Amino acid sequence: MSNTWQTPEMTKRIARRHAAEKRFRLAGLTAIVLSLLFLAVLLFIMLKNGLGGLDWAFLTGSDATSADAAGVWGALKGSFLTMLVTLLLSFPMGVLAAIYLEEFAPRSRWIDWVEVSINNLAAVPSIIFGLLGLAVFINTLNLPRSSPLVGGLTLALMTMPIIVISGRNAIKAVPPSIRDAALAVGASPVQTVFHHVLPLALPGILTGTIIGMARALGETAPLLMIGMRAFVATPPGGITDPSSVLPMQIFLWSDEIDRGFVQNTSAAIIVLLVFLLAMNGLAIYLRNKFEVRW
Amino acid sequence: MNATIVLLLVLALGLVSWFTARARARLLYAGRGSMHSMPQYHAWHVVLWVVVPAFVAWGLWSAISPVLIDQAVLNDPAAASLPQDPLQRSSILAEARSVASDPTFIGFSPLSTQLAEPMRAAQARFGLIGAILVGIVALAGGGYAFTRVRSRFPARTRVERAVMLLLLGASLLAVLTTAGIIASLVFEAGLFFKDVSPIAFLTGTHWSPANAIGDDVDANFGAVPLFWGTIYIGAIIAMIVAIPLGLMSAIYLTQYADTRTRKVLKPVLEILAGIPTVVYGYFAALTVAPAIRDLASSLGYPNPSTESALAAGLVMGVMIIPFVSSMADDAIAAVPRAMADGSLAMGATRSETIKKVLLPAALPGIVAGVMLAISRAIGETMIVVMAAGAAARLSADPLESMTTVTYQIVQLLTGDQEFNSPKTLSAFALGLVLFVVTLILNIIALRVVKRFREAYE
Repeated sequence: MSNTWQTPEMTKRIARRHAAEKRFRLAGLTAIVLSLLFLAVLLFIMLKNGLGGLDWAFLTGSDATSADAAGVWGALKGSFLTMLVTLLLSFPMGVLAAIYLEEFAPRSRWIDWVEVSINNLAAVPSIIFGLLGLAVFINTLNLPRSSPLVGGLTLALMTMPIIVISGRNAIKAVPPSIRDAALAVGASPVQTVFHHVLPLALPGILTGTIIGMARALGETAPLLMIGMRAFVATPPGGITDPSSVLPMQIFLWSDEIDRGFVQNTSAAIIVLLVFLLAMNGLAIYLRNKFEVRW
Repeated sequence: MNATIVLLLVLALGLVSWFTARARARLLYAGRGSMHSMPQYHAWHVVLWVVVPAFVAWGLWSAISPVLIDQAVLNDPAAASLPQDPLQRSSILAEARSVASDPTFIGFSPLSTQLAEPMRAAQARFGLIGAILVGIVALAGGGYAFTRVRSRFPARTRVERAVMLLLLGASLLAVLTTAGIIASLVFEAGLFFKDVSPIAFLTGTHWSPANAIGDDVDANFGAVPLFWGTIYIGAIIAMIVAIPLGLMSAIYLTQYADTRTRKVLKPVLEILAGIPTVVYGYFAALTVAPAIRDLASSLGYPNPSTESALAAGLVMGVMIIPFVSSMADDAIAAVPRAMADGSLAMGATRSETIKKVLLPAALPGIVAGVMLAISRAIGETMIVVMAAGAAARLSADPLESMTTVTYQIVQLLTGDQEFNSPKTLSAFALGLVLFVVTLILNIIALRVVKRFREAYE
């Protein structure tokens, strides 16, 4: 009995299909390799240009007009202060909002509006938050221009939706049996949430918070809008002093014509990336260490 | 300074009242044995009654005390020589206020230095009155609440009601932010559209705000070249890079790679999404753009510019890859396994299954993901600021420099500005357009994703 699968046409056809399979698989691999190659080239060029400029004087100095004297400490301190304001505002507000929406909110039209606006805020371009900060904090409330206070407020509005969304997911992941057990022994709903659900959800919330803060740390566009691009030669003393932040320093240096600033810019990028990597590493560590699979 | 003292005063009172109230509630607890609420709820109830009314009183006092201070200064004999014109009067008073808070400050009017002394005295007097007032309100509130520390009093219910109010307030903040964005954009853009007609803005093809002086304002605010540049860079060039690479890497990671490879490659790919945009911008300007220029000139292209739409779009596309990849990943994972298994059982190869079954089934999810990616790309600022250029032109040549909406917003709002000129206000009009477009894209995409998920559940 002659087998239709063994005719020459069929063998050729199967070979073609297998070749197509291989090509497709290779295309997938190529896509990943290309993306990673881009990442590798980017990191390599930054390291090549910047490693020579990373020394103690660079890490402790402030912005200066000559490339040799310029350092990154002023901008770094500005970033710390800005992040502090952002964290102090967005973390409590974000967690409280997440608790309300996930545990207590009644099903109503109002709450639908809150959910829609949180989901949309998370996707609004960051520069729009800068316009909001400019119009509200600076032109209406007359808060000091280019200060970490205004920068932190603006970034807090941007970070809060991220914390709310990750917080809600973390709270949702806590199994209902925990709540039922607490309620069954007489805890009130508020006690149930604050004594039992929140501690269990906290690792997840913290992971989301760190990721949101990492995004805020790398953000430049909204801060351009509120004027944090001034030349600041002394580190800021408080949250109302004019200051710069690390990504802004990178942007300002990248505009300089002097070739010496190429090294400074790349070195500042390395510093920024090290911080971001540390934060993301911490987030992954927290997730792996404390995450409970129910 | 004064505010810090009052804040500390109130917090100290709160702390003291917490301990006193808890001690009293514990005594009751020991005496009766049965109470409605635990002692610490009584304590928190008293603290709320101390702190909240005190802060309300402080807020009210801060609102009215400047008026009282000004009145006190005007009654001073030195104020008799003040001009009658209310405008001049208030400006001298404002100067006196600055001198009072900072003695090195030198006002324009000599009167302000004379008035500084009475001003400072009045400020100190009214500050003291305010602090005493706040103290009294705090004590009164605390005293009232303290009398209610009884075994039957439902302190827990009251405290929990306050907690719920706090939770509700926090979640309303998101709505408030959205409302704030819309209000500020619409308000400022409204001022702009008073000078420039919206039709000229949305359909004009000539953009040069720097020349917008005099009568032909309308002619210089045609934003079409900006919209084109934004779409060309963000929605065309970037997507030509991001869609194939993102989709193919998602397919490889979900369908071909074994678990170990996947566990390593996926986080590494995610790093691309975590790199700040300013770093991409610098990389585009430093490395990619010159490389493209050199390549173009070696291919015989006449006078290629350093800033090109291609460089910005290319780098932006790479930035978006992980985003497209994870959206495609979700969409493919949502397709029921049975569909792929059925196709494989019929003898289709894996790639045939992916192309003919998985991708068509996941298409709505992928399209929604691409829409979200586009909305992210057109709102992206730093890459185009550093690599795309300032020339507003309508051209399909990727090697030419092109400008975008976000670039122009930055350009118009940085540097010296007088706030109410059409030039700066136009930035808000551009922001409004950007906000509306991204909002529409997001809403449609989220709705598609939701419906798509429901279809397979």
